[in-house]
Amino acid sequence: MSAVAPAAPALAGGYRLSLPRTLRSEWIKLTTLRSTWWSIAITAALTIGIGVLIAFALTSSGQAPRGLNGIMAVVSPIQFTALLAGILGAIAVTGEYSTGMIRSTLTADPRRGRVLVAKAVVLAVFLFLASLVMFVISAVLVSAILGGHGQSLEWGQPDKVILPVLSASVTMAVCALIGVSFGFLLRSGAGAIAATVGLLFVLPIMSTFFAFAGESWKWVMDAANYLPLSAAQNAILPSDTAPLSAGVAFLTLGAWVAAGLLGSWVVLRSRDA
Amino acid sequence: MITAEGLSKRYGPKTAVDDVSFTVRPGTVTGFLGPNGAGKSTTMRMIVGLDRPSTGRVTVNGQEYRGLRAPLTEVGVLLDAKAVHTGRTARNHLRAMAATHGIPASRVDEVIEITGIGSVARKRAGGFSLGMGQRLGIAAALLGDPHTLILDEPVNGLDPEGVLWVRNFVRHAASEGRTVLLSSHLMSEMAQTADHIIVLGRGRVLADAPLSQLVEQWTTAQVRVRSPRAVELGELLVAAGAVVQGSGHDTIDVTGPEAWWIGDLAAERGIALHELTPTSGSLEDAYLALTGDAVEYRTRAVPEAGAPIPEVVA
Repeated sequence: MSAVAPAAPALAGGYRLSLPRTLRSEWIKLTTLRSTWWSIAITAALTIGIGVLIAFALTSSGQAPRGLNGIMAVVSPIQFTALLAGILGAIAVTGEYSTGMIRSTLTADPRRGRVLVAKAVVLAVFLFLASLVMFVISAVLVSAILGGHGQSLEWGQPDKVILPVLSASVTMAVCALIGVSFGFLLRSGAGAIAATVGLLFVLPIMSTFFAFAGESWKWVMDAANYLPLSAAQNAILPSDTAPLSAGVAFLTLGAWVAAGLLGSWVVLRSRDA
Repeated sequence: MITAEGLSKRYGPKTAVDDVSFTVRPGTVTGFLGPNGAGKSTTMRMIVGLDRPSTGRVTVNGQEYRGLRAPLTEVGVLLDAKAVHTGRTARNHLRAMAATHGIPASRVDEVIEITGIGSVARKRAGGFSLGMGQRLGIAAALLGDPHTLILDEPVNGLDPEGVLWVRNFVRHAASEGRTVLLSSHLMSEMAQTADHIIVLGRGRVLADAPLSQLVEQWTTAQVRVRSPRAVELGELLVAAGAVVQGSGHDTIDVTGPEAWWIGDLAAERGIALHELTPTSGSLEDAYLALTGDAVEYRTRAVPEAGAPIPEVVA
């Protein structure tokens, strides 16, 4: 009978849990699903495609408008791609619940806080890096298109290219974490995706309805400035006329992540898997 | 060694597991038996920390599962074959599990080979048959070469060859001194695999005893006697205090005296015997006797040889 593996030689020891190892496990899990790569491919196509399209549109009249901030073409697609980031984050969690994988995950590492941290870090880093690559490619292409009209991006000035691209990549990571949070809070794929889309996409649109309402409804508009993607706009392209300063905008994004992950931790810790 | 002490689990008003205490000892295969909804799976999930007990505690080698520093090397668990992401290949699933403990890829390939899933290891688990999924679950349980195995319905969906493999595997694991707890609906399979049986019913421990003792206690040993003068022999046996049931014109089932005594009696009276077969009940009979009747839930205990056993009687 050769059923049981030799004990000592096969596993000599030193095999125990640690955060780096759980991170590695979560990295393997994220990168070995086709859905991850589909999401990234679509995100890249939208980011680069829309960016290039806007650049062409800006120069279609034969000359680019004066004082054009070309980086806007690069970061504008985030209004759509942030949704994909959020959905990717959500299904990274709900996929485990719907398939039962979560039971394997939590028996392999029963420290649930560590599993949550590992999943969050892996998704955030993955989305940040992938988005950074997309935005840089898009920026290069957009710069080349606008350059034909003497309006290429000013790479030398950090606040013109590098900082917006970095901030936009951070925003993508933030949106993924919002999706992760809704995933842990709701566990159902449909519910988590609906909640993510609602927060990122629907609420900002709904808030605009109140623009025509009286002064007594102004607080809705003020509150809407703190919605994730509204704050993100002020973080990516700060301006003196923006409702939130860059600092407050980043703090707001951080607060969304903190609140979401804290709620996730409470739920994950207390509920049966 | 798995030790449950006063373990209970309530879901709202429903009590799934009710003050259960038991010990699963190393070096034996312990079988978990009970009707659906008896609390077997819930108990197993509490052992590995997936469900939190409402009251009581359960430990593996003296520690709660959630506190283990290397759970995969302590406990291998197969809760259900579906605890795998359907979109991931078997090998990547095992790689991800192994990575949490820094277990090398060579061990992943080893358990793939041990469980015979090499041909599908690079296919996505969503397309697996029940049997293949079961083997993948067992492969995951083996990753850390654990001292304790917890297998919920491991032979469910396996082909006969797979069933035999699991039986030999758990027997061998126990012979190496490992602790094995498995549940199965297949009574005959359990009878061939387990040394010790814990019967759960309605969330309580109905019996906790060695297999042979359980069968002895809960079934009736009889002697089947075939003789051309069966009726006459039957009357003699009844007169001697035995319980006799006729089952055919020349066959009687005798409860009470042992076979040799019946044989001697027949010889003394010059009655020819064509058959004299001691029959004992099966685990299935014992199980049905234990769980079949609600009244018996609370009445009969199965004493363990030597030590008095706790928590048998509700």
